[in-house]
Amino acid sequence: MKKVGIFYSFRSVKTHQQVKKMIKLLGADNCEEVDADVATLEDFKKHDNYIFAVPTWFDGELPNYWDEYLPTIEDESFKGKKFAIFGGGDQKNYPENFVDGVGIMAEFIEERGGKVVGFTSTKGYSYEDSRAERGDQFCGLALDIENQAALSNERIEKWITDIQKEFSKKK
Amino acid sequence: MKSNVPVKYSIKKTDKDLLLKWYHLLFLGRSLDERAPNYLKQAIGWSYHAPAAGHDGIQLAIGQMFRKNKDHLFPYYRDLQTCVAAGMTAEEIIYNGISRDADVAGGGRHMSNHFAKPEWNIHNVSSCTGNHTLHASGVGRAIKTYGEKDAVVISSQGESSVSEGYVYEAINGASNEELPVVFVFQDNGYGISVPKEDQTANRKVAKNFEGFKNLHILYCNGKDVFDSMNTMEEAVAWAKREQKPVLVHANCVRIGSHSNSDRHELYRDENELRYVREYDPLAKYRRLLLRYNRATEEELKEIEEKVKAEVKAAHKKGITAPQPTPESIYDFVIPEPYAADKYPDGLHNSEGEAKKFIEALNETLKAEFRHNPDTFIWGQDIANKDKGGIFNVTKGMQQEFGKKRVFNAPIAEDYIMGTANGMSRYNKDIRIVVEGAEFADYFWPAMEQFVETTHEYWRTKGQFSPNITVRLASGGYIGGGLYHSQTIEGALATFPGVRVVYPSFADDAAGLLRTSMRSEGMTLFLEPKALYNAPKAATPVPDDFEVPFGKARIRREGRDLTIITYGNTTHFCLEAAEKLAKEGIADVEVLDLRSLSPLDTDAIIASVKKTSRAMIVHEDKVFAGFGGEVAATISEVAFEYLDAPIKRVGSAFTPVGFNRILEAAVLPNTDKILQAAKEILEY
Repeated sequence: MKKVGIFYSFRSVKTHQQVKKMIKLLGADNCEEVDADVATLEDFKKHDNYIFAVPTWFDGELPNYWDEYLPTIEDESFKGKKFAIFGGGDQKNYPENFVDGVGIMAEFIEERGGKVVGFTSTKGYSYEDSRAERGDQFCGLALDIENQAALSNERIEKWITDIQKEFSKKK
Repeated sequence: MKSNVPVKYSIKKTDKDLLLKWYHLLFLGRSLDERAPNYLKQAIGWSYHAPAAGHDGIQLAIGQMFRKNKDHLFPYYRDLQTCVAAGMTAEEIIYNGISRDADVAGGGRHMSNHFAKPEWNIHNVSSCTGNHTLHASGVGRAIKTYGEKDAVVISSQGESSVSEGYVYEAINGASNEELPVVFVFQDNGYGISVPKEDQTANRKVAKNFEGFKNLHILYCNGKDVFDSMNTMEEAVAWAKREQKPVLVHANCVRIGSHSNSDRHELYRDENELRYVREYDPLAKYRRLLLRYNRATEEELKEIEEKVKAEVKAAHKKGITAPQPTPESIYDFVIPEPYAADKYPDGLHNSEGEAKKFIEALNETLKAEFRHNPDTFIWGQDIANKDKGGIFNVTKGMQQEFGKKRVFNAPIAEDYIMGTANGMSRYNKDIRIVVEGAEFADYFWPAMEQFVETTHEYWRTKGQFSPNITVRLASGGYIGGGLYHSQTIEGALATFPGVRVVYPSFADDAAGLLRTSMRSEGMTLFLEPKALYNAPKAATPVPDDFEVPFGKARIRREGRDLTIITYGNTTHFCLEAAEKLAKEGIADVEVLDLRSLSPLDTDAIIASVKKTSRAMIVHEDKVFAGFGGEVAATISEVAFEYLDAPIKRVGSAFTPVGFNRILEAAVLPNTDKILQAAKEILEY
């Protein structure tokens, strides 16, 4: 299996900590960390399985580094590739756009033929609206450090187990 | 990467020349924005500055979508970048910032950072936040009325201004009338220091409008040039195609304080200040240009150097440009009125059939609507089958002139007044009559638009004249109590920029209305509703009668006492004068002012010189009433001719009670006038 490409901003703090936990669970040898701030087309092309770390900024936006990277890969075909997306959100202070960033990224991937894996249940969260919501699931992992920090480790562990299975499945 | 609109513009596909042009505009806007505080530090000017930094994406998009002399743009006080992107030059921005006579918004009359260019339809707007949304709806109505399909109105404001009730009136009206207006909310999270959670429950205030019919709502990232451009492109195209309103909610950051009188570090922590700087739209755009090889560092540096030179040259011109002169303050207070040449003194000798006050109004309105096809009237209850206004003053007008020219307004007085202001911006030939409210008592919600409209001509240095006649059914004597009896001229005559007239008889009502409807500028036309059908107010009315503003009329000649009056009380004064004559006590002159502003001081003084005694009678309260102004004028100019103190008769300093006994106790009447007249005559 090719290494999982974990794309996130190396300048981030909370996201960086979450990524470190995930790498521990996945095994460092199975992962390649890519700094989303300076990622290239080649960084994208060399993987089949991805973890995209996409926190939600402001009232439901992608962070600048993603906004600025996506044009690099927007013309690529994502067919045959699998993407697991996670991101931080704040369901108490931003309930109207909780983890919208995860949803925006999923739409971007799916429009280009990629497969989004690692859906999680919305149970246990309290919010009003989310662009990541698909029925009773999020199209990725929602982490809320501000309000549910104690649940993060368990959520990450379960999610990593799930996406490992997805990544190992044949296309 | 936020809105769901077709992608026309992107970093990889947009033409390079256009990308570089945008960079030039963005860098120029930012350079001027950053330079503004220096003028204050050096005591040159720009004492009000609301930084645009952080709103750059959406402001570039608004400005770029606006087409001068085709569309209409209503920027707000943070829209420096919008105006630069719309084509205003660095010089024009600086002239406004440091309030020079060459300022194209209005020669330094308005506050700094209120950029405008009326010559291009970039409108000069109020500092009352969101107030211009009503004007935008008014222009939208004009565009629709005149069948112009390739034009749109863009109205811009901060998200906190949406808390103002009149913003809801404007958007409700645009939704109901299906007007091609794009309302842009620039959301930076704060109304000065008040966070948006203290303004409304939805974080995205546009969500409050999702139940409005005919309204298309788009959300975008106002910090991102491409998302903003794509969204504004779609918004404008949709508004023109569908002839309906659009609301664009653009998320921005406020990198600086609200203005130079605000210190945002008092309420924003360092973490927030850091990340809003990190999300600087200009820096992001620059990074994108370089990352995707759409520009080289050298090319961008070259633009930056060019902008520096441009700003430096503009600065030099700005600081040497002339200041406005002190004597210019009386220029452009109100336009010259229609010259009522046929009846230069507003007098006639017609002896035909006597017409009631209400007939005179109705017939004059109809005659003027036939005379000028660009005349419109609206108000509450103004047109529904056989009903034409709460008192039927406009009876039969919609049947004759159609629903485009004569129509009902919602129960929203500010909307009535504000859309009159807006619609009159479209074309100088347009003349608008509004019934400002069902009764004068209900006009108060329209006060902010009334005041605003009084400012327009002066503030724009004569570039925009709101040509509006505001009719109000006024006064008491009908058992109407507190809310159907008010006469509000004492308050409204205090504003420069509006004429105030208050006829007592049918002929003067017709003549003043004709002059009002043919004049440029705003006239407040107060109608004593108790006289609409009163035989005592009926007179013959020449078909072409005109009464000039500022011409009082001697309704009864006399030698012993001058009673100065207007409206309902003119009739009481005449009755009192007749009684005094019959009793052989005195020969009283009754001077009907007809116009309060302008005031016929010459006629007042001439009469006082003749009689040496003066009494002022009006229905409004004596305390702080208009009579105080008249009394002071007589004291200043004709004190030496007086043989007795000036006396005033009017309402008690109380509201008008509903019970008839209370009403009679409050309002002036013939007996009260008689008693006061005797006292002054005996002095």
